[in-house]
Amino acid sequence: MARTAVNSSAIHVFEVLRLVARTDEPMGVSEISRRLGLPASTVYRALITLEESDYLVRFQNMPRYELGPMPQLLNRALVHRFRLHAASRPHLRRLAERTGDTASLTVRLGWYGLRLAGVYGSHDIYHRDRLGEVLPLHRGAARLGMLAFLTDEDRDAYRRFAERQRLGVDWAAVEALVEAARERGVAFDPLAAALPVRDPAGHVLASISISAVERDAASEAIWRAARDELEAEIAQAPASFASPFAHIPADDIVLNLARDAG
Amino acid sequence: MPVPKIDAAIGERELNKATVRVLQVLSSFASDVEGYGVTELAQALGMTKNMTYRALTTLVEQGYVTRERDGSRYQLGYRVLELQSPLKVEPDFRSLAAPYVRRVHALTGESTGLVVRAGDYCVLIDGIETRKHGVWRVRVGALFPLHGPATGRVLLAFDDDAAIDDYLARHEPLRHPRTGEPVDSQQLRAQIGQIREQGYARVARATPPQMVSVAFPVWDIDGRLHGAMSVGGPAERFEAQLEAQLPDIREIVAELNRRSRLFPADDERAELN
Repeated sequence: MARTAVNSSAIHVFEVLRLVARTDEPMGVSEISRRLGLPASTVYRALITLEESDYLVRFQNMPRYELGPMPQLLNRALVHRFRLHAASRPHLRRLAERTGDTASLTVRLGWYGLRLAGVYGSHDIYHRDRLGEVLPLHRGAARLGMLAFLTDEDRDAYRRFAERQRLGVDWAAVEALVEAARERGVAFDPLAAALPVRDPAGHVLASISISAVERDAASEAIWRAARDELEAEIAQAPASFASPFAHIPADDIVLNLARDAG
Repeated sequence: MPVPKIDAAIGERELNKATVRVLQVLSSFASDVEGYGVTELAQALGMTKNMTYRALTTLVEQGYVTRERDGSRYQLGYRVLELQSPLKVEPDFRSLAAPYVRRVHALTGESTGLVVRAGDYCVLIDGIETRKHGVWRVRVGALFPLHGPATGRVLLAFDDDAAIDDYLARHEPLRHPRTGEPVDSQQLRAQIGQIREQGYARVARATPPQMVSVAFPVWDIDGRLHGAMSVGGPAERFEAQLEAQLPDIREIVAELNRRSRLFPADDERAELN
């Protein structure tokens, strides 16, 4: 059989999968077929194949589909490829235990931040932070905790990237947040605060953030200590903590994210 | 013209099989294993090297899999991050393990169960009851002391030594939950040593009705336990069969563990006391 034929069938299947992933509501055959401009029979076959392989599931027994368990497992397996994922957990757990706040580690992936690890605090109200969540660097404290501490050159490069990708950034607002973060050494948003985590050469690898119900000087000291401990661990073997995608130029990493994520 | 029509139908079916293989190959990366070579993957999936290579090529083109720079191994690519919905909640232990509970039941035809720890007890949270006569009951919500069933003993065995000492001291004198017979704590300690060594528990009940069961630990990312999974049935029917099927059962459980090691155990549940 011709190889191109094999590929075209698989490509349609992935097109369907990506569309369902990007859309908030479960989708049916006709809508998918209209949005992708593919014959309904092709879409139908793709949906059955994706359902049988656990990539999609039916929404409440209706002929409408949403993401199944397999994409989530892949997402988690990808997170697992970063050595910082496992290495940061003991630090985050100590931090969460001592402050009661939810602690997270977000790592750089090109011009995006990827939430690699999180430990929930003891407060009965917490923000359910999703592991594997990926957002561009200007979005939220965990990402700003990296963006603010990049070199001026890198921040300019990010700006060009964001403009090329039409991320629709309010640069004045972002600049103000970056300034404030650089002044205090900490990035903030209404829900969380983040400290940069650097390798011994001073490159920003990640940020450690807490979703604090209330923040005081004591918890901030605990949280800085956790960051310092993690940096000390990284300093012992910096190469092994590098991102598995560190060799890819940041500008080449372009992700097509769900609507309310981008 | 009937002939071309049939050809087209066959072509389509073949195409679909190839697509299923592409998804199967991608799914095998949903584990804590860092990367795979073509031969390794082909063997694990029961595909030819050629089929596997073609599936990998498609996945590399799509960006879901990357080829290491030396070209010999394949790893998961960052583009899988696009396949997530902000609305999706984390999978819990039960949904993570459910396909494997089904597979062990399908293989053995016997009752399978999934338990988690709740303080000094273990709770059955999922399972499938055998359809044969002579049933090892599966009651979701059933609570047993840790020193009772094979699953409980697995949960106890992989706790640390001090915690095991505390448990035994708290429950002295130990009694079997079903029969009320005394349980010798030295024997239990010896069995704990054995469970640690072989990596699973095997319990044969001496008093009628004679049952055999095996229970396996299911590990999390931090080297703690999510819980344990078991399969068991009447000795006269299941003992010889278990002997023959144990390697296959262990392979299914090993696959579950490659997945469950991607996730932390549920803290709230583990700390419940």
